[in-house]
Amino acid sequence: MKQILIQDTNGNLRKELRDFLVSLTSQLRDRSLADTVQVVTVADIGIYQKGIVAKVLPEGFVYGNLEVKHIPEIIEKTIQKGEKVAALALDRKNKQMRIVLRNCGRINPECFEDYVACDGYQGLAKALEMGPEKVIEEMKKSGLRGRGGAGFPTWMKWNITRGVSGAVKYIICNGDEGDPGAYMDRSVLEGDPHSVIEGLMIGGLAIGASNGVFYIRAEYPLAIERIQKAINECYARGLLGKNILGSNFNFDVEIRLGAGAFVCGEETALIASVEGLRGYPRPRPPFPSVKGLWEKPTAINNVETLANVPYILFHGGESFGKIGVEGSTGTKVFALTGKVRNSGLVEVPMGITLREVVFDIGGGVFNNRAIKAIQTGGPSGGVIPEQFFDTGIGYESLQKLGSIMGSGGMIVLDENDCMVDISKFYLGFCVDESCGKCAPCRIGGTQMLAILKRISDGKGEDDDLKKLNEIASAMQKASLCGLGQTAPNPVLSTLKYFDAEYKAHVVDKKCPSGKCASLVTYSITKDKCTSCGMCARVCPAEAITGSRADKYTIDPAKCISCGQCFDVCKFAAVLRQ
Amino acid sequence: MGIMKQDLDRIKEESGKNVSKNWIRVGYSTCGVAAGADVVYQVLSEDAKARGLAVEVKKCGCVGMCSAEPLVEVNVEGAPHVFYGKVTREVAHKIMDEHVCQKKLVENHIFEL
Repeated sequence: MKQILIQDTNGNLRKELRDFLVSLTSQLRDRSLADTVQVVTVADIGIYQKGIVAKVLPEGFVYGNLEVKHIPEIIEKTIQKGEKVAALALDRKNKQMRIVLRNCGRINPECFEDYVACDGYQGLAKALEMGPEKVIEEMKKSGLRGRGGAGFPTWMKWNITRGVSGAVKYIICNGDEGDPGAYMDRSVLEGDPHSVIEGLMIGGLAIGASNGVFYIRAEYPLAIERIQKAINECYARGLLGKNILGSNFNFDVEIRLGAGAFVCGEETALIASVEGLRGYPRPRPPFPSVKGLWEKPTAINNVETLANVPYILFHGGESFGKIGVEGSTGTKVFALTGKVRNSGLVEVPMGITLREVVFDIGGGVFNNRAIKAIQTGGPSGGVIPEQFFDTGIGYESLQKLGSIMGSGGMIVLDENDCMVDISKFYLGFCVDESCGKCAPCRIGGTQMLAILKRISDGKGEDDDLKKLNEIASAMQKASLCGLGQTAPNPVLSTLKYFDAEYKAHVVDKKCPSGKCASLVTYSITKDKCTSCGMCARVCPAEAITGSRADKYTIDPAKCISCGQCFDVCKFAAVLRQ
Repeated sequence: MGIMKQDLDRIKEESGKNVSKNWIRVGYSTCGVAAGADVVYQVLSEDAKARGLAVEVKKCGCVGMCSAEPLVEVNVEGAPHVFYGKVTREVAHKIMDEHVCQKKLVENHIFEL
């Protein structure tokens, strides 16, 4: 039995696809192949904007931009002889590379044997053989940098903590993932909990800690459940506790829950929260590696960082270091969301371009709208407009563009997204989440948000943009912790790249994307209106009235400028001004 | 006495032998469960049991195609190995009927990684 998988990858070839399918099935019937070849239309063939695409199984040949005239050749060569039609073939290379997500979706996360079958705990066994110094040496070779956002070299963090003397040390797994739209850590904790535990144990061995803490936000109940099950399983088998794998290494792990405060992702606030105190950051130094949890030397690593560790130990730091680019090695998991066709998690080698991630893997923008930018790094990051999409992903390269790698949120923005609105959203998030301890963050954030609100309400004043810049730079310099220091970033980067859009709001009192409700008015042009009544049906404010005979009109007094009539009208009769 | 290195190797070796040839995996992380993976898992395992099919229905984590959840990966002898996305109760029945029993692929739900 052979299969031909078929999809219209442009999304607008309904008629062509129908003709192709009719012709293909009838030609297969003519050659008496109908019983041995199944033609299947599929939901997503993994290729985009290549017209009608067919994949022939079991050979796996993929053909693109197909027309009816190509059918005989495909049948004669591929179906009957198993040969490739080179002229039609598409080069389909999987651009993803799975290290962190190596087991996610492949193993049963609640099954210890499944993890062990995929080389689980072999990295730990190797680390125990090597001893702490060599583990750190191996991590140095790998070039692994923290995946939580800042990108501090993991080996260096471990080496510093190792070098501080103290009988009791701690290693903490930071699972307080808080960026809007980012959920990589949740998926790893849920899909492969043992890999994070193994990473934590190796880290503990390296720094000389015999206590590990999982700090996970309470909003992740399934992740907590699976980590707890995995920990219990390890204790039951003697893989946690005393004399692990017959060595003299002892290690205990416990889970602490965070109440979902964004600031508790910051390491000093996280430590306070674990100690049962209010989640306030404190000035550094002393750094946690010197004085951390219960005033003992502490290393804090992100979930994704730790999930890399067993792989590095098992396969060797050198081979890991060859993946990616100079300075940014290995892979990075991104949570691709927003106006993208395939939202979900992608893991790519560093150095891959943003365009490849958004278009080749993500499938481009939903509804074939024009892309405007992507937002990376959450509320601490910034936007990257389309002209820079050929930049290779790396810690420094994204920083140069005014954004950051961050923990891995990547939100796709299209032409309907207003940049003032976006920066208002992110800043609003930080203002909500600010702990209020230091004035620059507490007052600066609130003032900036007030200005942004004013601008989007059409009451922006001439020197507002200047004021935004001034307050932002004060916040960056004077805030106590990373939250306040980076909160202005989304505003600054949108100001940098979309200055004209801000000016349109302030000077012309217009929102080019039609997002800011007070700056747009909707009306219906009578001669284009076909009286279909769709607009009146979707209007949530009952502002649209009319009938088949009189056509429809919008009552500006009732209109809330939500734009639903504009989106639903197929005849471009709704005007947005 | 806790587990030793050789125990790990033994578990690994044994599970390599015990891999069943026919299996179905259901993505069972938050994204999957939120989209209805629990119902899909239930339907598939009950169906397999009711028909007495030699196919193992398993839970797994998220492979990353969150927009296509609930996601079901099917690997049975005699038919290609594929992922089905946006699986509902009805589609789950179809997977058992058409893919597992008749070795034919189900229309309109295949997602390629």
